[in-house]
Amino acid sequence: MLLRADNISKTFFRKTGSANYFYAVSPLSLEIHPETVTVLMGRSGSGKTTLLNMLSGILQPTEGSVWLGDTDLYRLKDAALSRLRNERIGVVPQARSAVDTLTVMENILLPERLYGRKAPAEKARRWMEMFEIGHLENAFPKELSGGELRRMAIIRALVQEPEVLFADEPTGDLDDENTERVLSALASYAHEEKKGVMIVTHENDAVKYADRIFKMEGGELF
Amino acid sequence: MKILPLSLKNLARKPGRTAALVLLTAFLALAVFGGSVVILSLRTGLQSLEARLGADIILVPSEAQSKVSFQNMFLQGTTGAFYMDAAVADKALEVPGVEKAAPQTFLASLKADCCSIKIQVIGIDPAKDFTVQPWIARSLTGDMGDMDVVVGCKVEAGIGEIIRIYEQRCKVVAQLEPTGTGLDTAVYCNMHTMDTLLAAAEAKGVSHKIASGDDSVISAVYIKVKDGYDIDTVNTALTGKLRKVTAVRTRSMITGVSDSLAGVSRTVSAMTVVIWILAFIILLLAYTLVVRERTREFAVLRLIGASRGMLGRMALLESALCGLGGGIAGTGLAAIGVFSFSALIESSLGLPYLFPGIGTILLLAAGTVLLSIAVSALASAFAARRLSRVQPGTALREGN
Amino acid sequence: MKKQIIPGYAVFVLALAISVGSVSFLGPCVHEDGTVGACHWASRALLGLGMLLSVLAMLAVLLRGARLGLYLAMCLSSILGILTPGTLISLCKMSSMHCRAVMQPAMTILFAAAGLAALCGAVICFREKKERA
Repeated sequence: MLLRADNISKTFFRKTGSANYFYAVSPLSLEIHPETVTVLMGRSGSGKTTLLNMLSGILQPTEGSVWLGDTDLYRLKDAALSRLRNERIGVVPQARSAVDTLTVMENILLPERLYGRKAPAEKARRWMEMFEIGHLENAFPKELSGGELRRMAIIRALVQEPEVLFADEPTGDLDDENTERVLSALASYAHEEKKGVMIVTHENDAVKYADRIFKMEGGELF
Repeated sequence: MKILPLSLKNLARKPGRTAALVLLTAFLALAVFGGSVVILSLRTGLQSLEARLGADIILVPSEAQSKVSFQNMFLQGTTGAFYMDAAVADKALEVPGVEKAAPQTFLASLKADCCSIKIQVIGIDPAKDFTVQPWIARSLTGDMGDMDVVVGCKVEAGIGEIIRIYEQRCKVVAQLEPTGTGLDTAVYCNMHTMDTLLAAAEAKGVSHKIASGDDSVISAVYIKVKDGYDIDTVNTALTGKLRKVTAVRTRSMITGVSDSLAGVSRTVSAMTVVIWILAFIILLLAYTLVVRERTREFAVLRLIGASRGMLGRMALLESALCGLGGGIAGTGLAAIGVFSFSALIESSLGLPYLFPGIGTILLLAAGTVLLSIAVSALASAFAARRLSRVQPGTALREGN
Repeated sequence: MKKQIIPGYAVFVLALAISVGSVSFLGPCVHEDGTVGACHWASRALLGLGMLLSVLAMLAVLLRGARLGLYLAMCLSSILGILTPGTLISLCKMSSMHCRAVMQPAMTILFAAAGLAALCGAVICFREKKERA
């Protein structure tokens, strides 16, 4: 077991009728194992992204704890948690996530360079060739399409070689060919590198690569 | 943690934003350094004036210009020529409390070939003089011979060069150090040379005769009061004993200059403070606007594992680098301005103006650059804190 | 291409300032008796150099092929301009006079700025030429 969530939940303040708070994620427990691809499906607003953010160490749960191995993520101080996320957790967010002042290659190698690690440029180039953006190495994000930016974000996470990789709608802007390529790559990463991958999606294409499938509705996990 | 290369790239690849921030800080640095150099130069000039005057009391003919105009001779180099009986110097020595009495004779040239304007020629008695002579001795080894002249630093004549005054050939034997006063445009000679020049001037129709018709004339007597004597008392005694002579307290001249200097200093300081405050407010606003523009960028950094401390340091580092660039640029531009146009500034202010030593100027420059860095970093502190606390989950939501 | 001509425009503006300034507010000493000093001829030379610089700058903007050479010519002309007042043509001998207090420092700064802009232009042209080759 790589990552474990114990009875986590997230409430937000919102004035709706008589209630002041609502559960974005109802109390749930979840485990992510090595060599598995976990797919989390659900409609927009069901709480998938909030759950992903809590599991990846970005968003503190209102209640409960998240463990990566023996480490309770949310007991760590910010500097330690940030370093841990950099070294052991990879995230591909749903939204555009590029630093506009850096080239594509610089964006991909940024997690490594941030902590002074040797940047695996050759590995990055191989991934870029595989995802057909090798020719955009020195381009800036504003010159890329949505799909190309999405692929760049995925390569950034893969180059990090995290123990657990979270991908939120990784095939959102992609055509069928690239969708297959991305999902296949994520599955290979999990099975061949013995890592854990969680894909949040509302597309059925991911199902055939899944080892486990969860469904989220109204903040509840099924 | 490698934030410096990332910060440098951020600054280099957003040239418009960086240039605006650097420009604001440069404006601040320009005002601080330029204003400070002017104020310090005025203070150094005043100290130089105090040192050069040397005397406690100066006796001038009553018919001479008022104290204010006499003051202009020292401050702006305005030429003056007024005469009294040479015996005044000896009579002054008879007054109790007078330790030394050194005569000087002034002559305004019509036009020396060295310059297209009048210059002040000052004749001194090297044996008796205690105001100018010690200062001449620093630039001239040996005595000033007949028809030898020593020129102030602003007279562009080389040592050994011959200049003509009233058609008389005078050899430049030394050039004096800068004083920041009007004496920098004067030419000094001994009394024999002055007699020759006075005669030559007479031949040109420029009279120096006084009512008595006596040929032996002087223009001023510099008085040193003995220790233990009250200067005002000696001043009164001199005025009482010597007819048609005005006694000018040099202290009052210096006080007058000092008051004017204080006024200029206050004005320059006030302007600098106003510019400082305005620049700081604008920088504060600029960095606050930057927060909105860079929230997403910092959210991405947070997402890939940058800590809050790292992000805060990065934001502060970028603003400090802008401050450094602006500080150096502003200080450099101010230096070009104040040093290139020092003569213009001096004549506009009409006050003693002398640059402080190179060490002081370098220290001031370093201080200005450090201040620019500090102000820039301070202005961005609020923005840096906001950016370091960005929530990637919220900031990176689609549509943000 | 745009990068290459921006220094040309900068030099043109500076050259205009030199030409106009050298015969007006940045000019030589004015004598009450109507005579002229050495600085008068220095200002004439500066006027000529300013006009030369402005023509070179305009040619650099218009003639793509000759740009590098024109920028180099502007650099050398600027050096000549810096040396003209005080070194090549003498000025009045009193530092407080207008030619020394205003004309000389102002012209030095303007010519230095023009020379620097021309040098930037030359470097840009050289680099782009190298890239094309």
